[in-house]
This record gives sequence, C-alpha cells and structure tokens, in this order.
Amino acid sequence: MIVLTEYIETEPKLLPGDLAIWFFIFMELLVFGLFFISYAVTRLQNIELFNQYQLTLNSELGAANTLLLISSSYFVIRAVHAIRLNQVKSCIYWLYAALAAGAGFLILKSIEYVGTFATGISLSTNTFYMFYLSLTLFHVLHVILGMIILLAVAIKAQRGAYNAQNHTGVETGASYWHMVDLVWIILFPLVYIIR
Amino acid sequence: MMLLTLSSYAMGEFGHSGSIAVVILVITAYTKGIFIIRDFMELKGVSFLWRAIMYGWLSMVCLAIAILYLIGASI
Repeated sequence: MIVLTEYIETEPKLLPGDLAIWFFIFMELLVFGLFFISYAVTRLQNIELFNQYQLTLNSELGAANTLLLISSSYFVIRAVHAIRLNQVKSCIYWLYAALAAGAGFLILKSIEYVGTFATGISLSTNTFYMFYLSLTLFHVLHVILGMIILLAVAIKAQRGAYNAQNHTGVETGASYWHMVDLVWIILFPLVYIIR
Repeated sequence: MMLLTLSSYAMGEFGHSGSIAVVILVITAYTKGIFIIRDFMELKGVSFLWRAIMYGWLSMVCLAIAILYLIGASI
C-alpha cells in the first residue's frame, strides 16, 4: 500500500488537453523561435537601422496588448478550473471574457497598423519594417485562430458538451491560447523594447 | 506578470539600452515565459520530456537573443 501510494504520488501528470494540439504547439514554437533568432541575427548586421526605426513603433499599444493577452490567459485558466468543478456557466463566462480580451488585442493592433500604413510604411520599406510587419501579422493570424478555437469551445460548452468528467476540449483550446500568449511575451520586448 | 510587463515598457520608454538593459529585459521576458508554461499551460508535474521541450525552447530563444544583442552592444 505504501509502495502504491508513493507510485501514485510520483507518477507524472498527463499533458492538459489533446496530445495532438501539443505537437501543433511545438511546431508553431519552432517556427516562431526561428523567426525571432532571424530577427536578432539580421539586427546584428543593421543595428543603426533597427534602433532608429524601432523608436517609431507604438510601445504603449504593445504594452497594453501584452496586458490584454496576459489577462485573457488568466481568464482561460479560470474557465478550465471552472469546468473541472462542473461549473459550466462559469466556464462559459470566463471563455467569453478571454474572447473579449482577445478582441481588445485585435482592436489595438488594428489601430497600430492603421497608423503604420497611413505613413506609407509597407513590407518593402526596409528590413526592420519587413520583420516588424511579418512577425506581428503572423502572430495576429494566430490570435485570430486562437479566438476561433475559444469561440468554438464556448459554443460547445453552451450546448452542454463539457462537464467535470469530459473537458479535454476546453483544455485543448486553453493550451493553444497560452501558446499565443507565450509567443507575444517574447515578441513584444524583442521588437518594441530591447535595443 | 503585469508588473513585469510595465517594468519592461518603462525601461523602453525611459530609453534604457546597452548590455545591462538587454540582460534585464531578457530575464524579465524569460520569467514571464516560465510563469506561462508552469502555471497557465499547467506543465508543472508533467513528464520531464514535455517540460524539457517547453522550457528548452524558452531558454534557447532567450539565450540566443541575449547573446546576439550583447554582441551588438559590444560592437
């Protein structure tokens, strides 16, 4: 009995959510990681240019977007904890709160892009803007995909698909959303702050 | 994490640059990444392989960025 108890206590937990989403997450992180390192290597060859044009970015909106994504990740983890306790309504509420924070992120990003494109900046303006636009747009696509996944999970939860015994779908959506947050946590200081 | 984000923003806003700023900002991002992986993604307690992949990715990316920026600061 003692041996069994010790075994149970030391047995590793399973990954939250569907295993397939984790392979997808690892692939996404690999791509973003290569993108980040490419940015840093290219900057090393164009330090003056990168430092000069980085100052034109709106770091206030970048910081606000970081706060929004951290908040949305917190809301998602609350949704996961709620469904584990069979609190379906609470889970749905937290999922929509996360979606609202995600929508806030997209609104601020749109404001930022409108300001950028209004000054005639494009992917071909210079190397810095090429990286800035492609990295942030690539991330925005992931935010949109993450929001679609969270919305699908919320709708399924409303239809009674999840409960304390069956909530893999909620954990799967949550894991993807946290990956989107994790990538931004590196992207924000890299592109907007560090010089 | 909110405070760490605001401190990073403040460092950028007040124009801090150079080796020390690079190290502080990368460590700040790394710390936030650890929080997300451990507490949000709930990888605390899962098997070593999965944790090694996630923490390994974060460590490699942050280390590469720090080294490349420190080389840039020393030029």
